[in-house]
Amino acid sequence: MSDLIKQYYMSYEDHACDQECSISDLPPAEEVAKTSDVTRRSFLKTTGFSFAALMTACSKTPVQKAIPFLIQPEEVLPGKATWYASTSFACEAGCSIHVKNRDGRPIKLEGNPNHPITQGGLCSQCQASLLELYDSTRIFDPILSGEKSTWDGVDNYVIKALRKVKDQGKEIVLLTGTVTSPSLVFAIKKFKKKFRTVSHIQMDEISYGAILDAHKHNYGKRIVPKFRFDKANLIVSIDADFLGSWISPIQFTKDFRKNRDLNAKHISKLIQVESRMSITGGKADERIALSPSEMVLFVKDLDAFIRGEKGSNAKAKELAKALKHHQGKSLVISGINDINVQLLINRINHTLRNVGRTLDIQKPSKQFAGSDAEVQSLFQKMKNGSVGALLVADVNPIYALPNGVEFGSVMDSLDLTVSFSDKHNETTEHCMVIAPQLHDLESWNDSEQNSGLLSMTQPVIHPFGKNRSVRKSISSWSGIQTDERDLVRNYWKKIFKSRVKSGKTFARFWNELVHDGFAKISPEKINLTTFQNRKPNISASKINGLELVLFSSSQLGNGRHAENPWLQELPDPITKVTWDNTASLSPKTAEKYDVKKGDIIQIKANKSSMELPVLLQPGQRNNTIAIALGYGRKGTERFHEVGPDWLEKKSTVAKGETVGTNVSPFISETNGFQYSGMVATVSKIGESYDLAMTQTYHTLSNPENTSPAIMPVRPFVQETTFDEYKKDPSSGKYHGHPVTTMWKDDHPYDGHHWGMAFDLSACTGCSSCIIGCQVENNVPVVGKDEVHRKRDMAWLRLDRYYSGEEEDIDVAFQAMLCQHCDNAPCEPVCPVLATVHSSEGLNQQVYNRCVGTRFCANNCPYKVRRFNWFEYAREDVMENMVLNPDVTVRSRGVMEKCSMCVQRIQEAKFEAKRQGIPLKDGDIKLACEQSCPADAITFGDLNDPDSRIAKLNNDERHYHVLEELNVLPTVGYLTQVKNKDKSDQKKGEHHG
Amino acid sequence: MDKLLNKQFSTIIGIMLVISLIISFKNSSFHIPGNQEDYQPTQPIAFSHQLHAGEMEIACQYCHFGAEDSKHAGIPPANVCMNCHKFVNNTFNETRRADLESRKPVFSKEIKKIYASLGIALDGKKVNDEIPTEWVKVHNVPDFVFFSHKPHITAGVDCAKCHGDVQTMTQVKQVEDLSMGWCLDCHRQEHDSIQSATGRTAYLQDCASCHY
Repeated sequence: MSDLIKQYYMSYEDHACDQECSISDLPPAEEVAKTSDVTRRSFLKTTGFSFAALMTACSKTPVQKAIPFLIQPEEVLPGKATWYASTSFACEAGCSIHVKNRDGRPIKLEGNPNHPITQGGLCSQCQASLLELYDSTRIFDPILSGEKSTWDGVDNYVIKALRKVKDQGKEIVLLTGTVTSPSLVFAIKKFKKKFRTVSHIQMDEISYGAILDAHKHNYGKRIVPKFRFDKANLIVSIDADFLGSWISPIQFTKDFRKNRDLNAKHISKLIQVESRMSITGGKADERIALSPSEMVLFVKDLDAFIRGEKGSNAKAKELAKALKHHQGKSLVISGINDINVQLLINRINHTLRNVGRTLDIQKPSKQFAGSDAEVQSLFQKMKNGSVGALLVADVNPIYALPNGVEFGSVMDSLDLTVSFSDKHNETTEHCMVIAPQLHDLESWNDSEQNSGLLSMTQPVIHPFGKNRSVRKSISSWSGIQTDERDLVRNYWKKIFKSRVKSGKTFARFWNELVHDGFAKISPEKINLTTFQNRKPNISASKINGLELVLFSSSQLGNGRHAENPWLQELPDPITKVTWDNTASLSPKTAEKYDVKKGDIIQIKANKSSMELPVLLQPGQRNNTIAIALGYGRKGTERFHEVGPDWLEKKSTVAKGETVGTNVSPFISETNGFQYSGMVATVSKIGESYDLAMTQTYHTLSNPENTSPAIMPVRPFVQETTFDEYKKDPSSGKYHGHPVTTMWKDDHPYDGHHWGMAFDLSACTGCSSCIIGCQVENNVPVVGKDEVHRKRDMAWLRLDRYYSGEEEDIDVAFQAMLCQHCDNAPCEPVCPVLATVHSSEGLNQQVYNRCVGTRFCANNCPYKVRRFNWFEYAREDVMENMVLNPDVTVRSRGVMEKCSMCVQRIQEAKFEAKRQGIPLKDGDIKLACEQSCPADAITFGDLNDPDSRIAKLNNDERHYHVLEELNVLPTVGYLTQVKNKDKSDQKKGEHHG
Repeated sequence: MDKLLNKQFSTIIGIMLVISLIISFKNSSFHIPGNQEDYQPTQPIAFSHQLHAGEMEIACQYCHFGAEDSKHAGIPPANVCMNCHKFVNNTFNETRRADLESRKPVFSKEIKKIYASLGIALDGKKVNDEIPTEWVKVHNVPDFVFFSHKPHITAGVDCAKCHGDVQTMTQVKQVEDLSMGWCLDCHRQEHDSIQSATGRTAYLQDCASCHY
């Protein structure tokens, strides 16, 4: 049996070690002994606490007040959710969202399924950005020279200072992120008119400048094309993590998925060339590990072979042949921010005649417009004194720029510095004025992220503070006093006729725009030239030392959300590290430098030096170090307090320290901002560090002594190739022989029988579902120490499996959550019947019955139950507003786990009942299902033969994890199908 | 020394126990903790259901309009009160007496409170800020119970079944104990009839019908 099933392993450390290594979930004995001393002091504390608890328990039921509206708005009904369409700007993709409002406060963000670009998906960052609305450390008043002030005071001061700068003939620089809002562009125009020396510089914290500049050279305009992954049959991605963090991952995931329909004759093939291990690399059908310098040469060779010239790389030759075969239906992209590479990429796509087919330059994406050269020259201009005032919106240059510290000290010499940030950060520290802006959910905004599609943002809650939008602040300084809504509305009223050709009246257009969240408008004409060949200047040669790879992770991105505990505790999809960034090395390189996991190394590159803990990353190119950007942000010192307070608590970060390390100083400034390829040296400093990783526990693996000889590693992930699948749809499946059950078959489930299916083929590992679940179900954040103690609370975890050796690694993601087994092993062991089966096949957890014996967790073969070791809920009135009022906030001492969003099931049932019609398939969408951009999760009624889930349940690919235990899960999985050549299949089988 | 310490220790524990027992007895009204049967708090406005629902025969859901489509039946917002009380501002008796005595009827003290909460003067002019009324919630279920009015209204359950004869109460009182056993008394009996009337629904004794 075992040679038919590909062997997967969960963590490199376990895989690499011999039999003596323990893969047990239990902590080592000495650790137990160490943590279990009860001191006299701790004993007294506990007894004292118990006595106090006893006393409170005896007191009278508190009087509850109910305060109704005085005048109730027509559309608001207490206890019933209202939904508003809006747009989230948590990342640059600007996803269209639906906001769930309960009793006047937004409690959940979900993707807008009608939006043509994002199609209902929503990334983890956007979903988690909701929590930032309720952050009590936001700035709620304008600040003038470090003191709270009023808008009048600030306005007078700023206008006076701006006039003075203008009169001196010095430049006023408005430094923003890429402005996609047409009405803000208009406001900036007015601002320029008023203060004539204004120049507007756009800066992207993770720069896409090379793509823009390359298109300027080749087509005469700085654009980012719209990539059509749904139309490409062969995708070659060179260091572009387009499913995780590159440009618009949700849109790309949706599109990518469309061309992976297994019922079709052909599916697309993804080839990823990269140094580190990204989730796109994990999803790739083929993966080529190269170091940054090798990659540049690889692209050069690829271009040469495609144009029929000579090159040296055999793999590039092979790839060029395949690309030529798919001419017009292939797509080559690169995430390397080097103009020469991007010129090559453009030439490749041009030669392959992909332009206009798999990438659209006529209706480009407008997400990025930042120019590296302009940002670099700004620093020079500031230094030589030609800039008098700097106004910074949406970006944090001092954090994000490699020369941030110097940038900060130069800022101090200016006449006026203004920040629009509503959070204290590195840049606000150097600003005289802080004019705090609104959170997306409090503001009116418009954006044209993609040419021809207007997205709308409307406020869904009354602003918490006195904040106002950047648009409003700038307009007030230009002397325009209009309210927030009208600043946007009036602009569209003015240009309505020229951009909207639908024949609607403006009032109707506006109302529909606000209602739907988006509208199609006629795109602005752009005049592109035909392809102008431009010879790229590739001077790179293979570097022999260590090369640095900096990347933005899919959870923290450029670091804007570093203060969001949900995202900090979200494990990295690949490394599974929480609360830290690490220096990941391939195991071989680590061996070479004699370091192991957790050792702190000092990395020197680009005239800077940083200390980071080591992580061993299988699949990574040897002689590279990969580090995530976005960590080490100011403000993360607050996480000193996160997590339960108890005797043996270790703080997530030491007092005054940040979470992770900021590696921006490593960014090289030659030829724009370079994020990879910097030569680095490392040295051990002899210290080590505990990394809090989730993957090292809750494993489903068999202990060596109890596993059957034929099956040393259980086939959790079952996999096949597309060719095999076409021959036999059930290929790659493992048929377990179920043990006999002692259960009587006396549960008929004659009503509904809820079930779920996860398509391993579709899942990209983006982890959006985890945040979706966390928001919906009030899952608490526990802090780094608790994660390290294996006590994280996520109801849904994403197990990542490796197979293969060294650089040639296959990855599989498997969402693991309560399997709602029909013969649930957790149920018979509960002494108080706190976990019982429902008549609809749900494994219910009744919190108020649970006494916390934890027998159920012990007996669960899937390790999906979570125990509340502490009272995680906090008395932060503002932050608690994010809690879902339909789900109990669990208290200390009870077990919890996935409930299959039973609150959503109930609500849908109540509504169906009210309307008098039976529930339809798709009426109930679970939080994870809703947030999945890859449509990998399906929920429904197994008893309804026409439902999607019933069909998937009968699919040839469908299997249950640990089928042989005969626990009859209602959550099933569909085998992973990769579009591999046959020669690739056998790899990885020699293990075990 | 040890003996002395032990003696002191047990004395302290003993005293503490006695104190805690006294406190718990003093506070209890001889119900199981959490059972608030017979709870009848004084409300900020002496609103009489006996008058409105009883004598005037105003339907429950005229004011508690949330019950049909929401978890909460809701306490009516002041604008619902003002639908009538814009015109009605005293009792029948007072109108009659004022008529006899040929004087203007005296504005009811309680109705004045609605005007005050809206921040308007008796002639309807806005004079003050709005101050919402803090009603005392009578029927409480614990936080781990999710009760929704919506399916009960859909199923045609009479309001009085849980809330008692509210139309006879001048001051609302909780008449049932709202315990789980009491819920199940109905859910056990009427499961079949309700289910057949409304199509496929949850078996109404599933824990997750209310606890999630």
